[in-house]
Amino acid sequence: MDERRLKESFARAAAYGDQVPLFFYSHLFLDHPETRAMFPVSMANQRDKLLNALGRVIADVSNHDALVPFLQGLGRDHRKFGTLAAHYPAVGASLLATLAHFNGTEWNDELARDWTEAYTAIAQVMTEAAAADETANPASWEATVVGHERRTMDIAVLRVLPDAPFRYIPGQSVAVECEARPRLWRYYSMANAPRHDGTIDFHVRIIDGGTVSSALARSVSVGSRLRLGAPLGTLTLDTGSRRDIVLAAGSTGLAPLKAIIEHAAGLGDPPRIHLVFGARTAAELYDLADLEKMAAQWPWLTVTPAVSAEPEYRGDTGTVADVIGRRVPLAGQDAYICGSPAMVTATADRLHLLGMAPDHIHVEDFGWSES
Amino acid sequence: MTLAHSEMPTPERVRSAAFTPTRLGRRGIDESEVHAFCGWVADGLGMLLNDNNMLQAEIMRLRDRLLEGKGRAGVQPEDAHAQAVQVLSKAQQTADRYVADAQEYSRELAEEARLRRDEILNEAKVRASMILEDAHTTATKAANAARDTPEPLSAAERQDLQAEIAYLRTFSDVCRTHLRAYLESLTRSIDEWENAEHNGALTARPPLPLPLSHPASRPTEHV
Repeated sequence: MDERRLKESFARAAAYGDQVPLFFYSHLFLDHPETRAMFPVSMANQRDKLLNALGRVIADVSNHDALVPFLQGLGRDHRKFGTLAAHYPAVGASLLATLAHFNGTEWNDELARDWTEAYTAIAQVMTEAAAADETANPASWEATVVGHERRTMDIAVLRVLPDAPFRYIPGQSVAVECEARPRLWRYYSMANAPRHDGTIDFHVRIIDGGTVSSALARSVSVGSRLRLGAPLGTLTLDTGSRRDIVLAAGSTGLAPLKAIIEHAAGLGDPPRIHLVFGARTAAELYDLADLEKMAAQWPWLTVTPAVSAEPEYRGDTGTVADVIGRRVPLAGQDAYICGSPAMVTATADRLHLLGMAPDHIHVEDFGWSES
Repeated sequence: MTLAHSEMPTPERVRSAAFTPTRLGRRGIDESEVHAFCGWVADGLGMLLNDNNMLQAEIMRLRDRLLEGKGRAGVQPEDAHAQAVQVLSKAQQTADRYVADAQEYSRELAEEARLRRDEILNEAKVRASMILEDAHTTATKAANAARDTPEPLSAAERQDLQAEIAYLRTFSDVCRTHLRAYLESLTRSIDEWENAEHNGALTARPPLPLPLSHPASRPTEHV
């Protein structure tokens, strides 16, 4: 397999942009119509994802340490879509046809051999990871909504009970699909540490025009069924660190951080934790009552609400970054930040500016870019 | 800044874009201008991408014909397949466009409704606190008047004042009840509005729970 030839031929095809995945999926659906049902009606996002994933694989083709874990994750993640080992050759054939089409006269038998070899290797890593995962976990977890609370006009807290045990690390998130929006998966963080009764909380904020968030907050009710993918994400408590912790939550970005607090509570000697929970208005501090209860129960926990767009608010006003800057001593601390991408960037920048080491700042942009 | 939508975005126009700073007291630049600008760029890019796609398809077609002319004759099964792929791709793009348009429309509607809702609730909140403040001032005045009366009150005066206090208490109760009813009906109409919006899109579903908390439903805070 000639790596340079592989990259060149991919670059030639990739120059056609969106045309490439468009051709690929049309080819796949024509040859294997049964695969169409695994995808949503609109394929626009799907095409971006395919091109990005392919680009990443080709860029890292010789960097096995980076590529193998990426492909393994991809293989495991595809189980929830109903992807079977039998689908991989079909995808390979359509991929080859696509590359041949866009390489035009430059395409030859050698390239076809290179790509067959490369794809076989990729598919092998993915199917092996999926097969290994199969012995331990279902492809997806069916779950029932057992609680649904509309906390504000735009925020609902859902409590769900998976049919089979669902194991995760507090701070992780999971792809969620609901009956009203089939084949549209959106990531939400578990908002609690694993409980004995197996229930999981999700904090859902309605995004304007967000198809899944509005369905979860408005049309889902007690008794509705959801599907969950495999838990993932790395915004989890670094239990090896002996440093104290500042948590920065923007609106429903609170969810993974609340799980982290509960995780810390289960430790023998929890670190001191200062949570700054931000919202635009006091009414949008949708989980403050519960957080205050936790702070009353656990002396190592401090909770400071921050309100950014209500000047007459009596507590701390300003963004989460502003309030942390004013209220929280940062020396020798770890920080965990979750919220909208803008909030995460602003807060991380501020903490960095205030002298916090970048490798002590843990971030996750989460769930806000629905389309 | 102003934009003419007949103009196409050029790299120069995008690079030199300038926005009006927002009114005093708020940081940043005028959001609506930025949105309009992004919309203009997106439209232009959309048109360019469409043109690009059409040209790419044309290139492919011409190239396929060239290849055909070189060696093969007649319609080969591969050509039929390639054409089928093109047809399916066109159909998919049309579907994508419809979905994207519908989503954009729903986003705009939802945003507008949310802003309007916040406005209504804010107005109600301000009105509520104004009415309560008025009632409070009147009550305080009455109490002070009663206290400041220099001489002991005659029975008739005391009776008058007690009647006045009782009236003010009732008035304040009525005010509160009315306000509460007003705010509840407001909440209900917003729920109905949402319900109606959803019944349009979804099949029947159970009624929504009332929102559990919002500031205006607790006017007693201000007393």
